[in-house]
Amino acid sequence: MMRFLLLFSRQGKLRLQKWFTPLPERERKKIVRDMTTLVLARKPRTCNFLHWKDLKIVYKRYASLYFCCALEEQENELLALEILHRYVELLDKYFGNVCELDIIFNFEKAYFILDEFLMGGEVQETSKQSIANSIEASDMLQETMEEYMSKPAF
Amino acid sequence: MPAVSKGDGMRGLAVFISDIRNCKSKEAEIKRINKELANIRSKFKGDKALDGYSKKKYVCKLLFIFLLGHDIDFGHMEAVNLLSSNKYTEKQIGYLFISVLVNSNSELIRLINNGIKNDLSSRNPTFMCLALHCIANVGSREMAEAFAGEIPRILVAGDTMDSVKQSAALCLLRLYKTSPDLVLMGEWTSRVVHLLNDQHMGVVTAAISLITCLSQKNPDEFKTCVSLAVSRLSRIVSSASTDLQDYTYYFVPAPWLSCKLLRLLQCYPPPEDGAVKGRLVECLETILNKAQEPPKSKKVQHSNAKNAILFEAIALIIHYDSEPNLLVRACNQLGQFLQHRETNLRYLALESMCTLASSEFSHEAVKTHIETVINALKTERDVSVRQRAADLLYAMCDRSNAKQIVAEMLSYLETADYSIREEMVLKVAILAEKYAVDYSWYVDTILNLIRIAGDYVSEEVWYRVIQIVINRDDVQGYAAKTVFEALQAPACHENMVKVGGYILGEFGNLIAGDPRSSPLVQFNLLHSKFHLCSVPTRALLLSAYIKFINLFPETKSTIQEVLRSDSQIRNSDVELQQRAVEYLKLSSIASTDVLATVLEEMPPFPERESSILAKLKKKKGPGAVSSTEQEDGKREGGELNGGGERGADSTIAASNASTPSPSADLLGLRSSGPVSAAPPSAGSLLVDVFSEAGPAAPAAAVNDDGFLSSAPPSVVSEDPAPPMPQSDELLHKFVCKSNGVLFENQLLQIGVKSEYRQNLGRMYLFYGNKTSVQFVSFSTSVTYTGELQSHIHELSLNVQTKPVEPLVEGGAQVQQVINIECLTDFSDAPLLNIKFRYGGALQNLTLKLPVTVNKFFQPTEMVSHDFFQRWKQLSQPQQEAQKIFKASHGMDKEVLKGKRIMENFVCAGVIQTKAQQVGCLLRLEPNAQAQMYRLTLRSSKDTVSKRLCDLLAEQF
Repeated sequence: MMRFLLLFSRQGKLRLQKWFTPLPERERKKIVRDMTTLVLARKPRTCNFLHWKDLKIVYKRYASLYFCCALEEQENELLALEILHRYVELLDKYFGNVCELDIIFNFEKAYFILDEFLMGGEVQETSKQSIANSIEASDMLQETMEEYMSKPAF
Repeated sequence: MPAVSKGDGMRGLAVFISDIRNCKSKEAEIKRINKELANIRSKFKGDKALDGYSKKKYVCKLLFIFLLGHDIDFGHMEAVNLLSSNKYTEKQIGYLFISVLVNSNSELIRLINNGIKNDLSSRNPTFMCLALHCIANVGSREMAEAFAGEIPRILVAGDTMDSVKQSAALCLLRLYKTSPDLVLMGEWTSRVVHLLNDQHMGVVTAAISLITCLSQKNPDEFKTCVSLAVSRLSRIVSSASTDLQDYTYYFVPAPWLSCKLLRLLQCYPPPEDGAVKGRLVECLETILNKAQEPPKSKKVQHSNAKNAILFEAIALIIHYDSEPNLLVRACNQLGQFLQHRETNLRYLALESMCTLASSEFSHEAVKTHIETVINALKTERDVSVRQRAADLLYAMCDRSNAKQIVAEMLSYLETADYSIREEMVLKVAILAEKYAVDYSWYVDTILNLIRIAGDYVSEEVWYRVIQIVINRDDVQGYAAKTVFEALQAPACHENMVKVGGYILGEFGNLIAGDPRSSPLVQFNLLHSKFHLCSVPTRALLLSAYIKFINLFPETKSTIQEVLRSDSQIRNSDVELQQRAVEYLKLSSIASTDVLATVLEEMPPFPERESSILAKLKKKKGPGAVSSTEQEDGKREGGELNGGGERGADSTIAASNASTPSPSADLLGLRSSGPVSAAPPSAGSLLVDVFSEAGPAAPAAAVNDDGFLSSAPPSVVSEDPAPPMPQSDELLHKFVCKSNGVLFENQLLQIGVKSEYRQNLGRMYLFYGNKTSVQFVSFSTSVTYTGELQSHIHELSLNVQTKPVEPLVEGGAQVQQVINIECLTDFSDAPLLNIKFRYGGALQNLTLKLPVTVNKFFQPTEMVSHDFFQRWKQLSQPQQEAQKIFKASHGMDKEVLKGKRIMENFVCAGVIQTKAQQVGCLLRLEPNAQAQMYRLTLRSSKDTVSKRLCDLLAEQF
């Protein structure tokens, strides 16, 4: 499973953090520090994988943002790279040409999209269409429960 | 684009975020945040009830502040309130806040659980998914207690929407991982397996993660998943690249599902059903073939997804380790990747090859890539790739290429990154010792190591070279000469001075014949380094000097003068001063004979495992040391010269030379005989806890009296296995011993420490995982056998065990405490059953717990007169048990504390049980001529006499 996913900027500013196992706040902060220093120090065109403690770190840079996740020993690094990519695609589809600012101002949406895609550190749904549909459906759910319930079933 | 999105629902939030972004300094940001916190606090505390929208907005602001890295200590209650909102977006923000901020042990959990419960029963799929996500995110025990029963029902119910099924599967997985005891297997489990056949690919993708985890823990219950997984995989692999619509990722059909299917299959051995196996092999071949086809897209996503499947297939091939053809193909494929222009692929190929190197089918094939790997070590620009290359070189090393690999690693060390130097040094040291055919090469290598990377050479490494030089007289002269030459360098590392001081102090005489290295030259050379060294090294050098006085009387006056100088004899360091004073005195008053005795050459070190490897393991964590070690241990374990037998006799040292460097010795896994006189080792050696143990229990089956050996020990079933044939033998080893290695095989080592007082005992069992792979479902149980069982109403022993962790990481050790109360005397030992899964295969073994009645023996002091009076009182035939037997260990042992009367040994003691105390008297009469003993036991209880006699007779 994936243990955590972090999005941070080139300046090391954390933009999104998702922890799939409970950790004390202090530990989280330390990991974030370690990850940003470790990843930001990497030279361009080096490989996207690192060993860190007993975890595999997979990261990739998209424009000004680094997407970085930690995997357990037996997980597949290449596939994790594509998880990151698919997440970027999902953000892109939702925001239309996503940029760092979209994620800053709509961080809650970034979380909701991630939740549709991953759960408990495992891939829940890989279809771009299904995820987009359910995000859209929840965005449409602005009406109250009563209104919703009184509507004819679809 | 959805109409309502992008935060325009919450203008206040967007304004606040902009404000923060416009802050010029950290201070300004903190000021703005504090202002906002005060504002929110007053709003929450205010009399006016907040509407849902405001609450949502403020909670969201708090969340943002938290994510900026500030502590938030309020607002939780408001977030929980949002859960019961009937507006979806409010509910959603409430759940998000809880997922991000609520600890699993929060008091709010009960309230949150209430909200979740309502949403789960709402039958609204969107709400249900929100609730399931929240459970998975928090995953606390209270939540597991509340919902572990409900979620399986949702998962398998016929009318559950697909999206809810997906969430339920992964939510259940999360709960199973945190609280496996609360997720009860049941009727739903078989239906879960059939989700592999589900129409909806998303459902399969989610469910398979759950199935994989459940299979790892309960392989038998889930084994039907193998054939289902194979057929699903086969359908995906053979489908055209567009068949699966949105589940095709850059022309690769369902890469995530394929990888998960291949991972699931890695929980099991190769399928037994020929048809299933054939189909699977076909799939694996297709995947390997596809790697050779031209890519369908130039995008990196295409090749990544395709290769992800390929690597997962290779992992499965390696896991099966039974298809030589596939293994070699896998190896060739990885060989191609070694030269690929994608750094990622080179990295992964190096990593996968490490595991391939440990398979006997592919070890040779891996070796053919040695030049490429060496090249990678030299030319890769990325340190993490170079690190993998170094790992692979280490894994592919064997006798045939050791010299080349060690030389390459040494030359790489000169420029290696600081972060990996220490590890490299350890690896070179291990390989040099493991594959040393001639020891001059070994000495050269280690001295080179010190020269190149002295700072990274830990004590273990230089201690080890000294141990080996001392134990092998064929290399001593060479070592003295080489170290002498190395010390000529104007600047040499302190570790070199240490090795030099020690070796010249012992064997300087071997090169003293040459005038260029005459005693005085040697001394002056060493002493020229003295002042640059730290205190411990100086102390070592002083000892070398006193040894010189013995070796070369002509240096005596020079050395005495050095010792006498104020800088030594009045040194402010107490250790140096003491040595100087003592050595000076010793050299002036002791006669040559006395001096020669005191300063005699060091006796050989007891052969002991190298602690270097243990250090390497510790450094890299479990799984770091490739499984080659285990493999080698398996292959060469037979020839290891068991440490226990090794005496101080130097003829044995000579015979050692013929089996150079028993590799198993290096493993740091096998416990050896005597307590080592070697320098202290690195601490958390797997075997350290056993360092006072006797020879390891023989792992090979011992031919016992045979009454138990009808069942082979390898029978693997869920029922506790019958005791192993050798379990009696093992038991007898512990009759007079409380600590040691109870059992050892290729996977597991079990050590025992025990202590007894009166009728109570406490035993510590140490289960050491000797492999680099974790053991799962590790469990132990203690049961009674035979006689103990039949008296169930009057148990003889009350044994309480504490459960052990179900996971034992590779190289790790877990401890279990067992409390024992002796209620009444007993003959049979309790059985200890151990079960675990190693790479999917169930291991099941049963041993006798080393608890024997004599453990509860308390010695009694008694004058001989009393003894014989009591002896006569116990004269009824049933009170006595007697055995006459041949001495099996020679006749110099006294096992029990006793009094010696003429040629008789007698002992007296009391067996302490809860029910009664049984007085026992023992008489042992040796007949030295016949090498026979007569052992007589008398006690107030016939069963005790008999059992003690049986037990003790084995000990002489």
